[in-house]
Amino acid sequence: MEEQLAELAAKIADLEAAGGGAVVTNTMFAETFYYLTIPLMIIIHAGFLAYEMGASRLKNVLSSGVKNLLAFAFMIPTFYFFGWWVYWGFPTGLPGAPGPAGISGVEYANSIAWGWGESAQYMGPNIADQASGVFFGAFAMFAATTASIMSGAVIERIQTVGFIILAVVLGSFAWVVAAAWGWHADGWMVTQFGVHDFGAAGLVHAVAGFFALGVLINLGPRIGKFNPDGTANHIPGHNMPLTVVGLMLIIVGFWGFLMACVIVPGEAWSWFGDKPSTIYGTPITLSALSFNILMAIAGGIIGAWLFTRDPFWMMSGALAGIISTASGLDIYFPALAFIIAFSAGVILKPCADWLENRGIDDAVGAVTVHGTIGLYGVVMLGIWGSGYPALQGAAGEVPTISLMGQIIGALVFFLCGFVPGYIVSLILKVLGMLRVPEGAELAGMDIVKVPASGYPEWGGDAPVTPAHPAE
Amino acid sequence: MFPYEEASWSVVDGAMFMGWGSSLPGITTLIAAIICVLVLVIGQKSEAAKARAFKK
Repeated sequence: MEEQLAELAAKIADLEAAGGGAVVTNTMFAETFYYLTIPLMIIIHAGFLAYEMGASRLKNVLSSGVKNLLAFAFMIPTFYFFGWWVYWGFPTGLPGAPGPAGISGVEYANSIAWGWGESAQYMGPNIADQASGVFFGAFAMFAATTASIMSGAVIERIQTVGFIILAVVLGSFAWVVAAAWGWHADGWMVTQFGVHDFGAAGLVHAVAGFFALGVLINLGPRIGKFNPDGTANHIPGHNMPLTVVGLMLIIVGFWGFLMACVIVPGEAWSWFGDKPSTIYGTPITLSALSFNILMAIAGGIIGAWLFTRDPFWMMSGALAGIISTASGLDIYFPALAFIIAFSAGVILKPCADWLENRGIDDAVGAVTVHGTIGLYGVVMLGIWGSGYPALQGAAGEVPTISLMGQIIGALVFFLCGFVPGYIVSLILKVLGMLRVPEGAELAGMDIVKVPASGYPEWGGDAPVTPAHPAE
Repeated sequence: MFPYEEASWSVVDGAMFMGWGSSLPGITTLIAAIICVLVLVIGQKSEAAKARAFKK
């Protein structure tokens, strides 16, 4: 009897050990999952860097790159200093009351998101917390993405510091407010209007795109972009292949971006013990994402090719394909995702032309690709996904997706981007911090801002590297 | 200073960064923020000075 009891006790101990191992494995999986989204999202920035530099003329190539690098670099500390706090503090709006899920409000944000006092334990190395750092990292990359979206639109005439200030306002504040309201499970747009934006078509892309529009209105077009009669000239970048490869890198990085929008199962902070969910607690699988992202990329490229035949617009079409379906990548049928993405690819260039004909010089089409198509995607989900519960739970207990709700969401996302973009850039303009002087723009921004040459052998005064040093 | 009473990893069950439990995290956060602002101020001054040379 005693032997049997001892055997039983040993078996129980083994089982407990095995169970503990499973818990550790799941926690490590969850941490690794989000950790890997971070380098994937950095690929987005490699893409934006290549894309912007390629779209710049030879005289501006390095200054465009420097601007992009600095936006990335300033975004991370500023998001650490206050952006992360804004996200957790204001899902229910002002004054930052706690929401029904119990993970929001100023008091909650004070306890987890400041780099001082007791909350600092969640903002640095902590053996008992394997989630905060990787979540922060993923969100910081979302923030940096918004800044890069704006960055391309304003190349070749903006001042560096003025641009960085705008990037910080966008990446560490404006989109964060939109995310708190429309992405957080306690967000008022979600709980009151059933806004559903799984892949951030509105709260990242549209906010950034329309922030850029607000800036472009005050910044003005590049010298030579428009003729006296208002007609536009095409200002080609110096390296179309670099731009197209950059766009493809952005597409690669978006797999990480969208992966980071998934909540893994089995953790204390997970919605489910046995299945992944969206940030709203609704079910999703990575398989769903694979089906729909691929079909969306294909649809966008094909749609853009139909009328443009231009590789720049084809790859922009791929981005538009993803963005137009991002709100509902969790629930679209792949063929429907293809159709929506195709339509986005078709309307992309006419929308960009429409904007250009109104005197807006968006050097890379960012307002259209991210702003217009972002809102198009938010509204499309309202048309196709009406009746789906927007949060975990049943219709009646929780709000459902509706066309009106998505239109309200689209309007709020537009305002979250455009208003701060316009106001802050206007202030910078008044202070003389927005645009470089005319002479500097004509000379080229590299010669003014960067003590290096992008292509030294091509410059008139630059030393020429001999092909054969012995000669 | 090791942020636990006993300087042993076996007692570590939470935050383990330098300065945990003291004012160091807050001070370094403040200094880092000031660095960011100062760099922008210096960057703006130097770029504006260079750009002035190209004013028409």
